[in-house]
Amino acid sequence: MTTNRISHKWGMVVDVDRCTGCQSCVVACQAENNIPINTEDVFRQRRAIQWIHVERYWEGEFPDVRARFIPVFCQHCENAPCEPVCPVYATYHNNQGMNVQVYNRCVGTRYCANNCTYNVRFFNYWEPVWPESLRNQLNPDVSMRSRGIMEKCSFNVQRLQKAQRVVEGQQGERLTDEKLKEGNYLPACVQACPTNALVFGDFLDPDSQVSHLKEEHLDGHGRGYKMLEHVGTEPNVIYLKKVDIHAKEVVKGHA
Amino acid sequence: MIRIAALIALLGGLAAGGLVTTIVLIFVLRAWWSTPFEVLGFGGPPEQPIPFPHGVHAGVGDLLDEDGNVVTYADGQPKTALGLDCTYCHRNVDKGASASVPPVEQCIFCHKAVQEGEDNPLPGLANLISAWENKEPVVWERVHRLPDSVRFVHEAHIRYFTQPGNLLPSGEQATVAANTCSTCHGDVAAMAEVKQVRSLKMGDCLDCHRDYSAPTDCTTCHY
Amino acid sequence: MGITRRQFLKWSGVSAVGAVAFNGCLIPEQELQIESPVFLPEDLVNGIDNWYATLCRMDPEGCGIIIRVVEGRAKKVEGNPDYPINQGKHHARSEAGLQALYHPDRISEPLAREGDAHVPISWDEARRRIVDRMAGMSDRSKFLLVTQPLRGHQALLASEFVKAYGGRSMAYETLEQVTLRRSILEVFGQERLPVFDIQACKYLLSFGADFLSTWVSPVKYSRGYGELRQGSSRRGLHVQVDPRFSMTAANADEWVPVKPGGEGVLAMSMAYVIMRDGLGDQAAADALTGGGGHEALSAFSPDSQQVRDATGVEAGRIKELAHAFADPRNRPVMAIGGGSAGAHTSGLFNLRAIYSLNVLVGSVNTPGGIQFNPPPPLPELSTTDVMAMGVPASYREWKEMDRPQVLMIRGVNPVHGLPADANFRAAVEGAEFVVAFSSFMDETTAMADLVLPEHTYLEDWGDDVPDPGPGYQVIGFQQPVVSPFHAGTRGFADELMALGRALGLDLDSRLGLANVTDPTMEDLLKSGAEKLWEVDRGSVRASSFDGFWNGVLQRGGWWDTGTVDNSGIRNISPLDTAWPDISISDAPGGRAFNLVPFVSNSIGDGHLAHLPWLQATPDPITTIVWHTWVEMNTRTAEEMGLSKGDMVVVTAEGNRTVEAPVYPHPAVPPDTVSMPIGQGHTAFGQYAEGVGVNTLSLLAGLTDSSTGALAWAATRVRVVKSNLSIDIPRFEGNQFAEEADEQAIIKITKPE
Repeated sequence: MTTNRISHKWGMVVDVDRCTGCQSCVVACQAENNIPINTEDVFRQRRAIQWIHVERYWEGEFPDVRARFIPVFCQHCENAPCEPVCPVYATYHNNQGMNVQVYNRCVGTRYCANNCTYNVRFFNYWEPVWPESLRNQLNPDVSMRSRGIMEKCSFNVQRLQKAQRVVEGQQGERLTDEKLKEGNYLPACVQACPTNALVFGDFLDPDSQVSHLKEEHLDGHGRGYKMLEHVGTEPNVIYLKKVDIHAKEVVKGHA
Repeated sequence: MIRIAALIALLGGLAAGGLVTTIVLIFVLRAWWSTPFEVLGFGGPPEQPIPFPHGVHAGVGDLLDEDGNVVTYADGQPKTALGLDCTYCHRNVDKGASASVPPVEQCIFCHKAVQEGEDNPLPGLANLISAWENKEPVVWERVHRLPDSVRFVHEAHIRYFTQPGNLLPSGEQATVAANTCSTCHGDVAAMAEVKQVRSLKMGDCLDCHRDYSAPTDCTTCHY
Repeated sequence: MGITRRQFLKWSGVSAVGAVAFNGCLIPEQELQIESPVFLPEDLVNGIDNWYATLCRMDPEGCGIIIRVVEGRAKKVEGNPDYPINQGKHHARSEAGLQALYHPDRISEPLAREGDAHVPISWDEARRRIVDRMAGMSDRSKFLLVTQPLRGHQALLASEFVKAYGGRSMAYETLEQVTLRRSILEVFGQERLPVFDIQACKYLLSFGADFLSTWVSPVKYSRGYGELRQGSSRRGLHVQVDPRFSMTAANADEWVPVKPGGEGVLAMSMAYVIMRDGLGDQAAADALTGGGGHEALSAFSPDSQQVRDATGVEAGRIKELAHAFADPRNRPVMAIGGGSAGAHTSGLFNLRAIYSLNVLVGSVNTPGGIQFNPPPPLPELSTTDVMAMGVPASYREWKEMDRPQVLMIRGVNPVHGLPADANFRAAVEGAEFVVAFSSFMDETTAMADLVLPEHTYLEDWGDDVPDPGPGYQVIGFQQPVVSPFHAGTRGFADELMALGRALGLDLDSRLGLANVTDPTMEDLLKSGAEKLWEVDRGSVRASSFDGFWNGVLQRGGWWDTGTVDNSGIRNISPLDTAWPDISISDAPGGRAFNLVPFVSNSIGDGHLAHLPWLQATPDPITTIVWHTWVEMNTRTAEEMGLSKGDMVVVTAEGNRTVEAPVYPHPAVPPDTVSMPIGQGHTAFGQYAEGVGVNTLSLLAGLTDSSTGALAWAATRVRVVKSNLSIDIPRFEGNQFAEEADEQAIIKITKPE
């Protein structure tokens, strides 16, 4: 018998002060995860699928006006509202801190999406279609979701599985931030982000960058906060506050 | 009398109908829980474009015919199996997810020299040669097929079982990759036509994963 | 075996009910089969991915990328972590290169015009037709080669081709950086664009440059920007002077809305304040004013009404900006300018004034300021002729060019991008023979007599000397990462070399390849790499050339961080102190607005409009997709009775009109409307055709008086409500969301 799997708690730290709203993460995610092409009609029907999307919030009136950007994706909540409402256990929390969507269990009730605090679950209203030649680009490591299936950010679990096979399986070492990076196993959005606003890592690893950032920012003295914390979902994603030279202390944002 | 006859007929009808229903039910349940009965083409080996004899290639020792007699050449020399390692042809099996079937070119490496002879009938070799000459792929019928939602990786399984100390379910210690194959695929070398021997349903996978304390988290296989 | 399971299932499905019940559940035929490949490639392992380093050619920036290739198919683009420009990062536009490679509308074989249609012909026939036409040309000066700005060996090849054959070449870029390059040359004496060290900068003043989105080298600048914000304990500040609330302006700490064209006056006014208050570098101030001091700039005093009118910025605000910019506590500071700031009749004046601010406060050749790029390591790649291939022609040059007899166009679409007054369409129609190298049937290609389908950059060889570089010598190498997807495509450079041979131009010996039979681009690159190997320094060194060649292909290029240019400015060129000519084209009728067109964050200037991922990428400010829209101030829209999605007719001088939906938001100056460019294609594949309108068709074609560059931000338009209204496709409101009073989504804090 080899030793049991090494435990992890994957999570993300998002520095809102670094995010410029450039959408690199959005397209990187589309490319990695076989997300169907969002046509004009899909947007009109408000059924576009973007596992990670950039929300834009306005503040003030001309000329003292601000637009702020924040990347929003599945927060992989510890206390996830989507999980208890699923009648078929298609969504659950795994032992690596991830909120998992099991496509082959899903029956498409959409209860989870309705109960999600962050609006990050997306339903396949149609069978996904690509022109034949574009199918050559599809990622062979990610399942195709058919019509009637709910989908959402998976923290690129296919890349993690691969990293675990290579690092923990073949090299017999613990999968850490460093190992993730050198093996090119970061989630596609994190890898793409030009300003390094997204940091991915293992909260159980005390030496990881996310642990350092959490320590630095979350204990009341830094910029850390969790989105809609009062709902009590206990997300695994920490946001770092936007710095504004005109801020009083905390200003209310609005859509 | 007529009433009794009618009653008997009704009961008989019900019994016959019930029998058919029961048989169908048993068949369906068996297919659901395990592998289907080998009737009507279910569960049996599929027909391949080339009747590739795994026994000749991967078996060990003298070749036997259906009656258990040693097969010989015209000069009386016994024909012996080649004893090739599974990974000789299924080259990817210890490297990646899929085991891969060998390219036609690889078959031709040997079959340039190994030709059909009077005492050495090689049915299907003509199909292979014509595929090679026309540069066309050989389209095999898939024997083992997992649903689209499953990401099975051969490499991880073989790596685990070839590590010292990790015994196969049969109790043996695998030293090379080829030792591990029969765990799921059965004794392929003994099969005239390859067929699936284990149900390879999720329960089958999970039983084994539990036995070996392998991860049973959904994301291990489904993503 | 008698019956197979599939046969049984087919039989079961004979009845109608069965057919419905089973066909929906049946597994597709090919899923039940497995193919033996024919060949046994040595470098292919099924199911295992390989990553190859190459270059991204979606943008002029030229990022180094690595491509995930699984069984001969390109699957994913990621940034090359080693490459000095982008250091492992990339933009959405780079990602979509895969969709260009596998696009369903790619041209897969040579086409020749017959009447109104194009019919397939063979490559031999295509080349024969070109050679027939070109060999027999009586006046070879009537040959014109139009390409995108070329760099590296491709530029060398194209320039040698034109020299050997005769005629001219012109580089095309939709919104050219002609004025920017000229201002850099005049202020700093630099032919290459400089390094803007945003990473170490602590006070960044940007005039009109949308540097986080599309301007010059956005991935490199974004990477630096993350560091400027949170890379050290002292957070850098960013002020954006811009007539439009661009994505970059949205990220700035301060946005200073300025009147279009007034950017230079604002910069001059800042210089005046800095000099008057004795802030900046005295020697530099003297040199900039020819010893006249601030008195020489008195026309630009922020208190003058003229300055106020030209900039629309209060005197106090200008003084504040000037003091902050010259404040030693804010150092290192840097001023950059471009985009709409250079796109006026006063464009060169504006950019010269802006970049001179750096001279005034000593931010040249300093960390966090402006640094210079050394020439490339191979001298043949920086000759005047080769450098000229990388510089786009100005709008005036297009307008006044001699009409060509034979026109060869490669990979650009001037028919769509050049404003109508340049009449490029007439030049194409007037030419006797038009050859287009192109992967897609865009508006320009559709007019060609001969269409030659090109490899995409993922299938072809190439190299790049990035401009701007990272501050040291870099040559990036581009290698084919997949074999050509269509058998009928060829590389542009290979074909040009073959044409050269067929025309008897002796190109091969001009390129130093006389000893190679039928050389290709690969041979040309190798000969360049061999010289680089002999230099024996930098990131890749090897004992043999083969080792070196493999090394540069694996790393994606060669660079030498030791080769920095510390020369500084040799002569400070004095400021132009005369009041600039800020003119604007106008139209009658309706309510007047300044039109600020802008380059889309996703589809760029329109050359990427054919890619569905990019069409579906929300605009950062409005979240609009698959459309062209008119951004208007919310209050102004209310006054005009316009709400989101109402169609308006936008009219410019000469009765040019487009119709687009209005998107009101609070961050548009009340006298301004802005519209993205790049849509409104009548050709260019299924994803581009019929989407939006061509904003550039509104432009009257004013130019900067000294450079001839298109003054694309100098247009005033009239906006009239039409009676139509549409639902603008956008991501915003995609899902129902409620405003949470107690908890902000984005929390903000004061800097420490």
